[in-house]
Amino acid sequence: MNSPRTFSLLLLALLIFCFGVAAGLQPRFRLLENQRHQSNNFFSLLLGDSRRMFANSFYVKADEYYHSGFYPTIFDNNGAFKTAHMAEDTGAVNSKNHGEETGFMGAPRDWLDAFGRHFIPNRHTHLDEGGAAGDLSGSDQVREILPWLKLSAELDPQNVQNYTVTAYWLRQRMHKTAEANQVLLEGLRENPGSCDILFELGRLYAESNHDTNRAENVWIAAAKNWQPIEGDSDAKYANDFIYEKITTHLGEAELNAGHWPQAIQWFQAAQKVSNTPNALQELIDGVQAKMAAQTNAPAAPTR
Amino acid sequence: MVTILKADKLRVEYRNREMRQATKIALAGLDLEVHAGEVFGFLGPNGAGKTTTMNVLLGFVQPTSGAASLFGIDVRQPIARRRIGYLPELTYYYKFLTAEELLRFYAKIFGLPRSEADRRIDDLLKLVELEHARKRPIKSYSKGMQQRVGLAQALINNPDLLILDEPTSGLDPLGRMKVREIIQRLKNEGKTVFFSSHELGEVETVCDRVAIIHQGELKVVGRVDEIKKTHHSNLEQAFLEIIGYQPQTAS
Amino acid sequence: MRNVFAVAGIVIKELYRRKDFYVLFILTVLICLVMASVNIFNDKQIVRYLKELCLLLIWVSSLVIAITTTARQIPAEREQRTLLPLLAKPLTRTQLIFGKFLGCWIACGLVLVCFYFAFSVLAASRDHAWPLLNYFQAAFLHWIMLGVVVAMALLGSLVFAAPSSNSTICFVVIATILTVGRYLDAVAVAQPEPFRSIIYTVYFAIPHLEIPFELRNLIVHDWPLIGWNFVALDALYLLAYAAAFLVAACLIFRRKPLN
Repeated sequence: MNSPRTFSLLLLALLIFCFGVAAGLQPRFRLLENQRHQSNNFFSLLLGDSRRMFANSFYVKADEYYHSGFYPTIFDNNGAFKTAHMAEDTGAVNSKNHGEETGFMGAPRDWLDAFGRHFIPNRHTHLDEGGAAGDLSGSDQVREILPWLKLSAELDPQNVQNYTVTAYWLRQRMHKTAEANQVLLEGLRENPGSCDILFELGRLYAESNHDTNRAENVWIAAAKNWQPIEGDSDAKYANDFIYEKITTHLGEAELNAGHWPQAIQWFQAAQKVSNTPNALQELIDGVQAKMAAQTNAPAAPTR
Repeated sequence: MVTILKADKLRVEYRNREMRQATKIALAGLDLEVHAGEVFGFLGPNGAGKTTTMNVLLGFVQPTSGAASLFGIDVRQPIARRRIGYLPELTYYYKFLTAEELLRFYAKIFGLPRSEADRRIDDLLKLVELEHARKRPIKSYSKGMQQRVGLAQALINNPDLLILDEPTSGLDPLGRMKVREIIQRLKNEGKTVFFSSHELGEVETVCDRVAIIHQGELKVVGRVDEIKKTHHSNLEQAFLEIIGYQPQTAS
Repeated sequence: MRNVFAVAGIVIKELYRRKDFYVLFILTVLICLVMASVNIFNDKQIVRYLKELCLLLIWVSSLVIAITTTARQIPAEREQRTLLPLLAKPLTRTQLIFGKFLGCWIACGLVLVCFYFAFSVLAASRDHAWPLLNYFQAAFLHWIMLGVVVAMALLGSLVFAAPSSNSTICFVVIATILTVGRYLDAVAVAQPEPFRSIIYTVYFAIPHLEIPFELRNLIVHDWPLIGWNFVALDALYLLAYAAAFLVAACLIFRRKPLN
């Protein structure tokens, strides 16, 4: 063992062994490489599938920030926080919330608990309404949720709500339409044909850029991409909800443009998935009444 | 003759419950008196009980039975240590402090006013020849310099009784000479010095009286010349005879 | 008291001559500056995530400094044999314990002043606001809480064999209190006997250090000031625990052999 020749031979044998193992494992790694997820983000690669867990916690953190820290923990009754309020307030997410959102902590369990509540946020507020200070002039404070949403999107690009919620608040409160547009386009790159993102993009064009035609085109693309989900699940409700939103917005756009038959078609499409078909029926009836009234009106005299 | 230091039937036992060993008797009824103004040598082989005796006198260890006092005050009272200076065998001090800061810290504990503390620090650093290094952190000192810092801190309060545990341990001959000079100087000033040492030549030179302790028992106490006369030999031979050392005869 | 302050002064000198504080401070500032340089949708006013990160780093750093500095005080004195020449002076063991406590606690206070100043500058650079009273409330209760931590670590240094084991146990206990201390009663309610009684006992026995910890949320999210009476009550509550730990430490140290 002390001889240099023996040492060199052992080293050579070790090298050959390592080379053989590497060559043998190469085909397996090729297979794994093809199954790797799309993200090139360092943390995504580092964390693997657990990145979704982190992404979810950052998403919840953003909602916690939306409430200025007044947020239930796993020990509290979080029935009223199943759907993030920051998403619910965008009007584009199906809410699963129920119960009292201001009293999730319940009554103090003992004197220590009662005392400790003086040192934590203890009032339900939303950042878009001025937050803890209640100052409506500061309603652009909703910017504070953006870092967490951005981080969540980095780690889980497949969660479309990261993009839609971010884009909504960027354009609605902070008037950063260009940045909102960029976020949505990035979301579409990661989730091609996503109805939620397309819907939000359409809203951006309609409400911020006042480009109704472009908005309609995007919403029509969203409606065409929509696929129904069978069964009875939260995913189906969310899916139906967004279709209802798309079709009702298209209906309203057509209504504003005076294209009443097209509007009725969209409202009828919305009825098929809506929880409130009667309300939509009333709308349809109203439009039909207007159409009928126009038909019966005397024609304008011609020269 | 005023008794500065007194040990009365001092007994210290150590029992190691975890190891289930038998009780070790470190001191077996030690009776000792040191008078004012004398230089008293406390001798004994390793493990004889010298350090245990000092630990009791300094209040580090509670005796199992018996009593000890300094200046008539029970050693368990912190005030008993107001007029003493102590130099441990192994001199380690706060490495991040300078010599000046260390002395100022100890001066504060003794309650010395600032001006007096400054004066004493200057005098002591000059005495132990550490003026040039007063602003350097102690971690940069050599062993000899650390020993000298130790001596300086033992003298900071101008003590009436100095307790030194092997004061020349690890010092070169020049260092040992300086320590002997300091002890002599203190004696001339009327201070009392109580020290343990293995350097019997030194003890012979500076001590007025010595006590020899072996296996926790006091074997002899008296003047150096009386002990030498009784045993018809020098102090080293007398010491070996007293502790019962039997030289092995060559076969 | 003179002796207590003298010992405390040495502890403070030790802290600012060691590198621990400077390393942690620079690390905290660097991390915050890096996070502050991230471009988030071209908005320069986003500040709360920075405040939260900075406060979290301040809490972690302050706990590291408090626990590691305190855990090594008495063991280092023993190991380096500086304890014997110190106790050979007219200084009682009780004075030594109080001196060490006071030194570590004041050192933590000085550390907090630096950290909170840096935090306020960072926040003001974006917020353009200086809610000094809010910061004072948070820093004050943080400091009081560190007093409990220091007392706990000092007691631990007399009970446990090594500073490393003491530090580890302190970190684990404190981290557990900070994260789940507030919810132990909720956990207890859901348990059958006898676990319910055991958990309730633990819940009421532990010092609720999480109260100052959760105050961070009020600072991050710009909530108004807490009533000063509640701040005073919490300070008294925590100081009572610190006193209890210190008394226990004194009782143990008085009986402990020095060699």
